[in-house]
Amino acid sequence: MNKIISTKAKVFVTILSLLIFIIFWQIVAQQGLLVKNFPGSFKTISSLIWWVSDPFFDNGPNDLGIGTNLLISLRRVLIGYSLAVLVAVPLGVFMGMSKLAQSSLNPYVQLLKPVSPLAWLPVGLFVFRNSEITGIFVIFITSIWPTLINTAFGVSSINPDYLKVSKSLGASKSTTIRRVILPAIMPNILAGMRISMGTAWLVIVAAEMLLGTGIGYFIWNEWNNLSLENIFVAIIIIGFTGFILDQFFGYLQEKFDYSI
Amino acid sequence: MSKNQNSKKSNTHLKLNNIGKIFYKEKKFFDFYSKGNRSGFEAIKDINLEIEKNKFVSIIGPSGCGKSTLLNLIAGLQTPTSGKIIIDGQAIKGPGPDRGVIFQNYALMPWLTTIENIQFALNTVFPAKTNADVKERARKYLRMVGLEKASNKFPKELSGGMKQRVAIARALSINPNMLLMDEPFGALDALTRSYLQDELLSIWRKNKVTVVLITHSIEEALLLSDKIVLMSSGPSAIISEEISVDLERPRDREKIEQDPTYLKIKMRLEKHLLRETRAVEEVT
Repeated sequence: MNKIISTKAKVFVTILSLLIFIIFWQIVAQQGLLVKNFPGSFKTISSLIWWVSDPFFDNGPNDLGIGTNLLISLRRVLIGYSLAVLVAVPLGVFMGMSKLAQSSLNPYVQLLKPVSPLAWLPVGLFVFRNSEITGIFVIFITSIWPTLINTAFGVSSINPDYLKVSKSLGASKSTTIRRVILPAIMPNILAGMRISMGTAWLVIVAAEMLLGTGIGYFIWNEWNNLSLENIFVAIIIIGFTGFILDQFFGYLQEKFDYSI
Repeated sequence: MSKNQNSKKSNTHLKLNNIGKIFYKEKKFFDFYSKGNRSGFEAIKDINLEIEKNKFVSIIGPSGCGKSTLLNLIAGLQTPTSGKIIIDGQAIKGPGPDRGVIFQNYALMPWLTTIENIQFALNTVFPAKTNADVKERARKYLRMVGLEKASNKFPKELSGGMKQRVAIARALSINPNMLLMDEPFGALDALTRSYLQDELLSIWRKNKVTVVLITHSIEEALLLSDKIVLMSSGPSAIISEEISVDLERPRDREKIEQDPTYLKIKMRLEKHLLRETRAVEEVT
């Protein structure tokens, strides 16, 4: 079944399938098979080229280049996400190490984890009275759970041999955390951070539709302009950015995979 | 100074005084409502043992008899429920760098290279030592186990035998006067095992350490030890016998098997282990 396919053949197949998809899309749109005035792939590609060729213009908040909007979104995600990691990792280590912390914090985690982070948006607006900080706050709430849970799980399932070695050498608690526990759970932390980043990138688009500026607001704005092809441009760019972010964490995970 | 005094008074390095260990089940939520005695699992009880300085002692017993528990107690990784563990006349309070521990699964940190694994031990035990000192010392011990060339390799790149040699180097690098080994060669193939046994003997001869070896191999115990401690089957395992192995050293692997003393002790051990193993298998 699974024959080994050469790289050349793989690239060829990928390009071929992309071409077929673009042509199929164009035909469906042109014939009005879906709905009237649905933008075809040619129109979408030409506006993609238009947006990408001058990505950083600034004609006021309702007319920003797509690169500018992307950077605004990325900045919000990066700040909220980094804060979340800074909180989640120490808290996760604490929860993993102490039964008391585990049982006192776990109910909150379990209760809050399944809630859509967007539910926090009004709370953020009420408390901060600032859409920028609210966006960061929503991303913070989004990003915290996967990293927290993975870190705590990593600590509680750490190979007891490492801890025995550390203990038998008379290592202090802080040495054990810094030099044994943290490196040992690095794969878990990174797995959590990867999921956190994925979710944060999903949520920022929705949050920005309500907050203004950013790639999510771009989509909302183009919907008001009834310019569906620009929405497709944004979807392509969001997807591509998310893919790059995910690959970056995939690369880190590979680097810290001790088993191979 | 204290060394001389000790050797005059007695040559005892380790003394176990009525050691017992009971593992209690963790209290579950509903247990708060059910009064009554905490039920526990008594692993070992009434263990009394004396081990002289620089002797090689093996502890042997059927699987699940609490050998590893006993070793963990001596290492200070767990505390006994009853009794005292006395080393050089002092009751121990926890783990200490006077005891080097070697585990069956090597317990090397996979994110550190061979030499870094040893450096971690040295940094922890001797925080005042400079980096250059630590590195030099780590190298010296890697050389001792013949792995100087593998110093920048990660554990995953080493064979099982090499990993255990690194673990031995790590344990010895902190200059302990007692080595505690928990079935260190149990996971190795027969040839590697023989090689490491010889290696261990030569290290022991050169380094002046007391060795406590947990094993379930009768041949291994006979080849290596001055004394063999036999444990009964658990739970509530006790020491059922202590046998001194008065075979001349160095012992030759092939010749020793013809020795009548060797055969006599071997028969005795086999009989005992078979009986105790039967007790375990027929209960469960």
